[in-house]
Amino acid sequence: MWLTFKNKFFIQFWSPFAAVIAAGILSTYFFGLTGSLWAVTGEFTRWGGHIMQWFGAEPETWQYFKIIGLEGTPLDRVGGVMIIGMFGGCLAAVLWANNMKLRMPSSKKRIGQALIGGMIAGFGARLAMGCNLAAFFTGIPQFTLHAWLFAFAAAAGTYIGAKITLLPFFRSSATVKPGGLKKVIKPNPNQVQNRFRLGWVVFAAIVAGSFYIMSSSTKLGFAMLMGIVFGLLIERAQICFTSAFRDMWITGRTHMAKAIILGMAVSVIGIYSYVQLGMTPKTLWAGPNALIGGLLFGIGIVIAGGCETGWMYRALEGQIHFWWVGIGNIIGATILAYYWDVFSAPLATNWDKVNLLDVFGPLGGLGVTYLLLALSFGLILLWEKHFFKKQRSLKNAKLSPVVSQPDVVIAMAKTL
Amino acid sequence: MTESVVADYNLEIYGEPCPYPAVATLEAMASLKPGEVLEVLTDCSQSINNIPSDARNHGYEVLDISQQGVMLRFLIRR
Repeated sequence: MWLTFKNKFFIQFWSPFAAVIAAGILSTYFFGLTGSLWAVTGEFTRWGGHIMQWFGAEPETWQYFKIIGLEGTPLDRVGGVMIIGMFGGCLAAVLWANNMKLRMPSSKKRIGQALIGGMIAGFGARLAMGCNLAAFFTGIPQFTLHAWLFAFAAAAGTYIGAKITLLPFFRSSATVKPGGLKKVIKPNPNQVQNRFRLGWVVFAAIVAGSFYIMSSSTKLGFAMLMGIVFGLLIERAQICFTSAFRDMWITGRTHMAKAIILGMAVSVIGIYSYVQLGMTPKTLWAGPNALIGGLLFGIGIVIAGGCETGWMYRALEGQIHFWWVGIGNIIGATILAYYWDVFSAPLATNWDKVNLLDVFGPLGGLGVTYLLLALSFGLILLWEKHFFKKQRSLKNAKLSPVVSQPDVVIAMAKTL
Repeated sequence: MTESVVADYNLEIYGEPCPYPAVATLEAMASLKPGEVLEVLTDCSQSINNIPSDARNHGYEVLDISQQGVMLRFLIRR
């Protein structure tokens, strides 16, 4: 009994579909309990700011940090404790499943990709005032128009990013070899057991930490506890917003994109009810910054292989590639913060903060949001149909569906 | 049931981020003859969400998915 349960919940990966919808529900409560969005990039930008402070700079005087705030330490901020909770949750999940191993990048090219892609994504996200979370997954349910601009621009960006990542230069050097493989080496059972226990130690420590924080601030305590659950969800279900966009273009897979739309649909009505009870939705400038930022972000996340939420759990799994993505993100975000004053007025702050609930009235705004979500879902279905129709006609034309020269590779492998 | 299946080809991908494992798998599958089986071994955790469903979407049969620590193994028949 326990073994089956353990295997199912702690070792095997969870269904991403259910997990994304759960994240949608949880992020709604997160807003109700903390008054903030489930978001990570703003806080990462602040971390960049703190690092600058250690080196003697005064980022607190920069306009951008005046907007997003740089008071106190991460422990005093909802975003800060939430991210610490997320890291803790991810780490516990990784240890339970023995999914930790230092995985070196396969080439220097990948490190470059990770760093540069991460920088572009970090810059773009902060230009648009949010990443896949605050400007998309938790942004759209806030009825802020900038999230819609960001989402469509990011979708376009990921298309460009996908084209770049599939250039021959970046291709994987792994080749098909004849024959089945030797047995997969089983991990050392002692290590598995030790890590499972260590996972519980981490989990207990982070939960205890949350309760400690809760004793002085209920809001921060809840933020951290919910961060733990977010961390568990994203790692155990390998939730990847990047793949939701990218894989529609590359392999025609729409599973994740559909899940995200449903997750947002669930969240929308919840946020609506909080707003009706008197909470203020978080609305941001619907300016060119959302479009340009979204486009850059989309390109960046695909080149890097993961977004701000994506690198967090992969970095803890020991995928070195994503350490570089994280570093890139923080550098990119800090560069944006530094140059913010130069272009903030024409691109962002001169534009109105548009909330659909104000434009169309409460019911109208709710209706328009659901209509747009339904339209997005429809577009995904259409794209899927189109993609596989094209695949079939390519196949019938006796061409290999996905590019490259696999026959040559096989022939070579056979002669070896 | 999968014990009896012997793969005709294998593909090992380590340390590569998405989308490369899934793309390499689909490319490899396209080069197989109908009925042949490819074994994919990877340490990219994310593959659990993409390799099996991509393979099915592209009309291949997923015979087995197994997880051993960080290693994921997929058996796919064209």
